[in-house]
Amino acid sequence: MVSLKRAMALASAAAVVSTGLVTTSMAVAQDDGACNVGVSWNNFEQPRWAAKDKPNMQATIEAGGGTYTDFDARLDSAQQQTDVETLINGGADVLVLLAQNQDAAIAALETAQNAGVPVIAYDRLIEDPNVLYITFDNVGVGKAEAEAILEAVPSGNYVLIKGDPGDANASTFLPMGWDQAGLQDKIDAGEITIVGDQFTDGWKTETAQNNMEAIIDSANADGVSIDAILAENDSTALGVVAALQAKGLDPVPLSGQDGDTANLQNVAAGWQYVDVWKNANELGKVAGAAALQLCEGVAMEDLVIPDGLIGDAVMPLDGAGATPFETPGGNSVTSFILQPQPITQDNLNLIVESNWLTLDELCAQAADGPSPAAICTDGASMDEASMAPEESAEASE
Amino acid sequence: MAQPSGTAAAQPSSSTPARLRSAFAATEIDVRLFGMLVALVVILLGFHVLSGGKLISPANMITLAVQASGTAIMATGMVLIIVSRNIDLSVGSQVGVIAMAYAVLMTDFLPDVIGFPAVGSPLMWIVALGLGLGVGIMIGGLQGFIIAYIGVPSFVVTLGGLLAFRGVVWVLSEGAAVTGIDSTFRAFGGGANGSLGGDLTWALAIIGCLAIVALLIYNRRQRRNYGFQLRPLWAEVLIGAVACGVVLLLAYGANQEYLPRGLAARRAEELGIVVPEDELGTRFPMGVSWPIILLIGVTIVMTFVATRRRFGRYVYAYGGNPEAADLAGINTRWTIMKTFMLMGALCAIAAAIVVGRLNGAAQDLGTTQELLVIAAAVVGGTSFAGGIGTIPGAVLGAFVMQSLAYGLAFMGVPSPVQSIVAGIVLVVAVGLDSWNRRRGGGRRRAGT
Repeated sequence: MVSLKRAMALASAAAVVSTGLVTTSMAVAQDDGACNVGVSWNNFEQPRWAAKDKPNMQATIEAGGGTYTDFDARLDSAQQQTDVETLINGGADVLVLLAQNQDAAIAALETAQNAGVPVIAYDRLIEDPNVLYITFDNVGVGKAEAEAILEAVPSGNYVLIKGDPGDANASTFLPMGWDQAGLQDKIDAGEITIVGDQFTDGWKTETAQNNMEAIIDSANADGVSIDAILAENDSTALGVVAALQAKGLDPVPLSGQDGDTANLQNVAAGWQYVDVWKNANELGKVAGAAALQLCEGVAMEDLVIPDGLIGDAVMPLDGAGATPFETPGGNSVTSFILQPQPITQDNLNLIVESNWLTLDELCAQAADGPSPAAICTDGASMDEASMAPEESAEASE
Repeated sequence: MAQPSGTAAAQPSSSTPARLRSAFAATEIDVRLFGMLVALVVILLGFHVLSGGKLISPANMITLAVQASGTAIMATGMVLIIVSRNIDLSVGSQVGVIAMAYAVLMTDFLPDVIGFPAVGSPLMWIVALGLGLGVGIMIGGLQGFIIAYIGVPSFVVTLGGLLAFRGVVWVLSEGAAVTGIDSTFRAFGGGANGSLGGDLTWALAIIGCLAIVALLIYNRRQRRNYGFQLRPLWAEVLIGAVACGVVLLLAYGANQEYLPRGLAARRAEELGIVVPEDELGTRFPMGVSWPIILLIGVTIVMTFVATRRRFGRYVYAYGGNPEAADLAGINTRWTIMKTFMLMGALCAIAAAIVVGRLNGAAQDLGTTQELLVIAAAVVGGTSFAGGIGTIPGAVLGAFVMQSLAYGLAFMGVPSPVQSIVAGIVLVVAVGLDSWNRRRGGGRRRAGT
């Protein structure tokens, strides 16, 4: 006669085993049929990924009959390794990997390659010849940032606010772009002096704000002015603007990238000079389309961006087909390199026309800004002009 | 030969060190606190020398104080939590979620969804601040209830809070930064528009001085009434003079910072006075800024609560010996819950400062700040064993950590190296204190 205790122990053991079997069978069942795309994000806390990239990637994949699963590694490389293993064990056919740390991601890459799962390196490079690298031209982004600022401030004192030191974009690609635009040449020629140069852990706004305040204090103590600020992205640029405002300084030409709402509002108000806009919607779509094609067995070199999927301004310079890309580490990876668009007060209309932001959203803070953009003030005067004929019509009655 | 601390009677001794030591003991200054103050001064002086004589200036010290204010305010609450043998790992995420709540309330929810108050209304900052405090107290109350009444360890509950509340931040704004908040609320962040101005600063300083003197007189009278030993009169006068001097010096320093020319011109217009061009930059002193006022206020209130109110004494009693406190009839569970509710309210105040400084909220505000707050409390003398820790010590601890960060950034040291230095200093500071305690030296009176 089996005691109650024993019966319960046996029952729970049976439950655990059967759950395991069911899950495995579910995973196996998922293997045949639909294209299962596993995505490993590194940082949902930055506005861009969850708000723009993911919805478009997911929609493209599901429209093509695939399934979408994702995890967020929360800025932790070890967690990303675990996420990749979970996705592969869960039956992913293609892996999209936004690397938290390009060196640590190599290990995750090996896990995928051992399982025969092709990997798309999304936005951030992984130094491995077998990945498909889908990104905006990050060096081109840096070049666009620096070109705009150098045009506005050809000589003077510059502050460099960089992103997370573990991110190749922050440490290598963007500064490379800056130099391609002529920054290092100007420094060597003595026309530009660097009065501040700091990385920002985790691309955090508050850290950038604190660092910028310290740099401003140091510059004040030395009696030098700050003429221009090259911030690598929008979250750091936001902190820089806050530091300038806290110190009561006038706006200084400032760069950024990502096209975050708050920063585009700053461009409209006059606090940020240029925001290099990478229409992340399009990047997500391209990754989704590439994943679907990889599922069908198309070789990486033969991948093509479907007609009409993305706008012409964003299309890679070399056309709709995948092209080889020489990495700094000497590898040659297959790639889709999309084109960024620098946004200043002169072309804010692009933001509104592509439905990235509405005009009201864009101009929300422009009226209070030091130099509101024409697109915001023109809207107001257009309203007045359209009201006037009605008023005169009423008056004549 | 060390004099036992607390005795006012100085024994006649021929050696100067012994006489100095007994004189020092007569002033009844907490040796540990004093030591930390010395350490802070040494750090600042060190950076001052390394930077070629540039670090210590009114403007820089104000920047440092404003940057430290949020962490310091939260550290005062963390002291009570650690003293009562708990921990709160969620404070960074609480700041993040309350900050985003402020931003969303002021830019969207209150004016558009509820319809009241309207954008630009003078009531906006009061309503937003009140709601933020309410959210903080509720979050703290929820965690405190689970910890105190249901009995889940505080480490686990607040770790869950750390994860969960960070997720709530994302739900509020879909990860985007929300900027453009009410201009009165922005004053919480300090800066040119968040300072009191020259006259009010001097007025506050004089009031502060008078309050210190009144407090000293009151304490002396209380001691006499209850038959306690009095401090020597020269010690009272010395303390009063030094404290008053420091307050007035701080006010003077704050007034050395002036409104920048553009803002000064606008202020002159508002007041209807004419200021010559070259005097614009030195016409309107900024004075002390709101984050610093909030910090001083919170420190005073929290010290008072910790040392002179029943709630504070209960917290220390519980921390010293939980069973004895319970048996003595203290409602220990309600006391613990209150420590977490208080922490939530302090997070709301710190969040107001952060939102004011940034003119909005970002997804990553407050990330990893819980570690800085705990480090500040611990560097300030709070022990994880419970029962020991002071509020002023925690504030000093926060300033020590922040002065390192600021000094290194000022000198252009890369941020990863800043982290190395912070970690080393943390271990050294706490290690010194543990070693000192083990030796039997120093004052162990809890909750000064």
